[in-house]
Amino acid sequence: MKKWVPAASGLLAGFMAATVFFADFSTGPKGTASNDNNANKSNAEKVYVPYGELDEYYMLSSGGHSGQLFVYGLPSMRKIRTVPVFSPDPATGYGFDTKTKEMLGGYTWGDFHHPAISETNGEYDGKFVFANDVANNRIGVVDLSNFHTADIMEMPNMGGPHAGTFVTQNTEYIVMPTRFSVPIGKEYAPLDEFEEKYKGVVSMVTFDQEKKKLDMSYQIMLPPWSYDLSDAGKKVSGDWIVMTTYNTEFATTNNEINASQNDRDYIVLLNWKELEKKVAAGEYEEVNGAKMIDPRKHKGSIYAVPVAKSPHGVDVTPDGTRFIASGKLAPLMTVFSFEKAFEAIKSGDFETEKFGIPVLPYDKIVEREVDPPGALGPLHTQFDDRGNAYNTMFISSEIVKWKIDTGEILDRTPVHYSPGHSTATEGDTASPDGKWIVSLNKIAKDNFLSVGPSHPESMELIDISGDKMSLTYTAPVDPEPHYAQTIHRDKIKTIKIYEKDEKREHSVWKQEDTRIERKGNEVHVYGIAMRSKFVFDAKAKRPDEIKVNQGDKVIIHLTNIDLDQDITHGFGIMDHDLNYEVQPGQTSTIEFTAEKAGTFPIYCTNFCSALHQEMSGYLLVEPK
Amino acid sequence: MAKKLSAGSMASLIGAAALIFASIKFPWWGMKFFAPQYPEGLDIIVYPSTLDGDIDIVNGLNHYIGMAEFSNESFPELQYLPGLIIGLAVIFIIIALLRRKSLLFVPVGLLVVGGALGIYDMNRWLTKFGTELDPKAPIELEPFVPPIIGENILANFVTHSYFTTGSFLLGAAFLLTLLPFWLERRK
Repeated sequence: MKKWVPAASGLLAGFMAATVFFADFSTGPKGTASNDNNANKSNAEKVYVPYGELDEYYMLSSGGHSGQLFVYGLPSMRKIRTVPVFSPDPATGYGFDTKTKEMLGGYTWGDFHHPAISETNGEYDGKFVFANDVANNRIGVVDLSNFHTADIMEMPNMGGPHAGTFVTQNTEYIVMPTRFSVPIGKEYAPLDEFEEKYKGVVSMVTFDQEKKKLDMSYQIMLPPWSYDLSDAGKKVSGDWIVMTTYNTEFATTNNEINASQNDRDYIVLLNWKELEKKVAAGEYEEVNGAKMIDPRKHKGSIYAVPVAKSPHGVDVTPDGTRFIASGKLAPLMTVFSFEKAFEAIKSGDFETEKFGIPVLPYDKIVEREVDPPGALGPLHTQFDDRGNAYNTMFISSEIVKWKIDTGEILDRTPVHYSPGHSTATEGDTASPDGKWIVSLNKIAKDNFLSVGPSHPESMELIDISGDKMSLTYTAPVDPEPHYAQTIHRDKIKTIKIYEKDEKREHSVWKQEDTRIERKGNEVHVYGIAMRSKFVFDAKAKRPDEIKVNQGDKVIIHLTNIDLDQDITHGFGIMDHDLNYEVQPGQTSTIEFTAEKAGTFPIYCTNFCSALHQEMSGYLLVEPK
Repeated sequence: MAKKLSAGSMASLIGAAALIFASIKFPWWGMKFFAPQYPEGLDIIVYPSTLDGDIDIVNGLNHYIGMAEFSNESFPELQYLPGLIIGLAVIFIIIALLRRKSLLFVPVGLLVVGGALGIYDMNRWLTKFGTELDPKAPIELEPFVPPIIGENILANFVTHSYFTTGSFLLGAAFLLTLLPFWLERRK
């Protein structure tokens, strides 16, 4: 053997070993993708809420034309509950039992836009959340002690309360301005008479927290502009409401073009404290059951501020000193000073008057215009605890962070895609938390597994606690969220069961007290549900039978006497389109006419125990 | 040798009477039930005059195994027990005031006999409730007797039975009734 062979093979073996152990087999230079991968790992940790722990925030999100309230946990973005507000819900019997059926008033849907949590001193107090139904001129309120809709009220003289719901800083009023002006009482009037006959009305609603009852305090009659969004002042501006308008052109057709002609529209400033005094002094007209006040006849309560064309959102800063309008068609945010506006008002410094409304000089009350290069379609502003504002940009699909005091653009992050509103943690309060912002996107093309032509809307969670925003998580959502408010979990105090109230009307708490009473052709059942049976009449041969005659009116009062957490019973009657639930300690009632003769099983629809399947009975309807 | 009890012994007996009296206001015995669906636990808490805790929930669950319902009415003892306790405290005070050494055995005897009867009575109830199960109950179960003290497993429930504040006060009262024997040892 040649001498060089062992030497060469030794060298080769050496190189082989070195290659195996030390070589870098990766192809080419590392891209940002692998860095992103690392970032995603930490993002996963940020949103992961381990078993046994709870999310830090409730996000109360509008369900749009589902008419429902969606409740999410943050930061996990887990959907916790769907609360039916303006639409019936078979799962809970909402809209089927007597009380909620009456509350829905015959409607089977509503267009839920802007939830507003009740406030005390400009802070969410976690007691109630109000909501507007743009489709049917209603306001609803959800009790946050049980996440049930407590009351719904239909408002006269309105054409869709889009620019609400927002509450004044101590929930004195829930404000609901009209989007589509209509003649008073929706009487017939040709569109040629739009300017004279049509009105944009603002409803000032009060809520009795003890009786859980909504009431119309008074309404404000305004020119037939479209009121888009509104906000209530805080602290120095606490007596004021700001509202954006579009269609100051009074267009009545093809609004896409015709309502987009004026270079300037207006922000309306209303002093609700002044109006309240005038109404109390009797300076109003009674119009379809509402006290209607025309602020143009009462100086000092209404002003207009010119603003770049077709503005959308207007938001008051946490300290209450400024309001920021976002120009839907003019791509900039305008910061106005309340103090400067008050000065102009005090000195009577008005530019002109439009429809009897004094117009404040734009140049004197504007603090600055903020126009991030290339950012298009600013819609809404949210805030953090460090003096920064966050704007959604519908057209350029991003969120822009900027400093309110200087207008300096601090950061921009893309979202996917077309954000409408956003919600920052405690973002509408006098003291935002500055931890998270959720972008409520209108489009989510290709972000999730396909379910056909209609892609889900999406929500993106962005960490805003640092200097730079960090897109952290995304979640699909049922159609369609408009707006949300995010409240710290410590502020919401839920009940676990309903109190055993022996005086409650129609309630029965002992099996032996259950009974079926006949009054003419009405049959009243006073029954109980408990694990795992129904008792309608303890003394009957079969306590779980309801026997009536064809044509009888049947009224079933059912009390769940299981005062045990999470033991909800359902009550479904076959072939009757009826199902409702009773939660622990609750009494609910349904009414129906037994039109069909026959035999109809009754069963517990809400899983309650190991013997849930056996929890049943019969409705027997004897033929005439 | 003086026949009269010392002031210390008197105080000790009166203290015992006070503790016995006070025990009426405290729970004597309890049972806590844990199950996967009840990680927070369900309570039965027994005061001398009343039942407390999650009695309705426990009754609701017990109907599955056909156990009779717990209620204040199902235990006649709860009607007269406070009277007995007050009587006992009064007897202690009388003995303390009489200051007769020979009567020192009465409180100790009463507590021993009373305690033994109490435990016998409890065991009787536990046996009755655990063994006289409704034969028509949906879940058929071997008769069982929960312990007066300690852990027991029944179906999906782990139960802990325990004596608590009121019983400890009685125990302390018992020690106070023994103290005079030591205080009077040299007389």
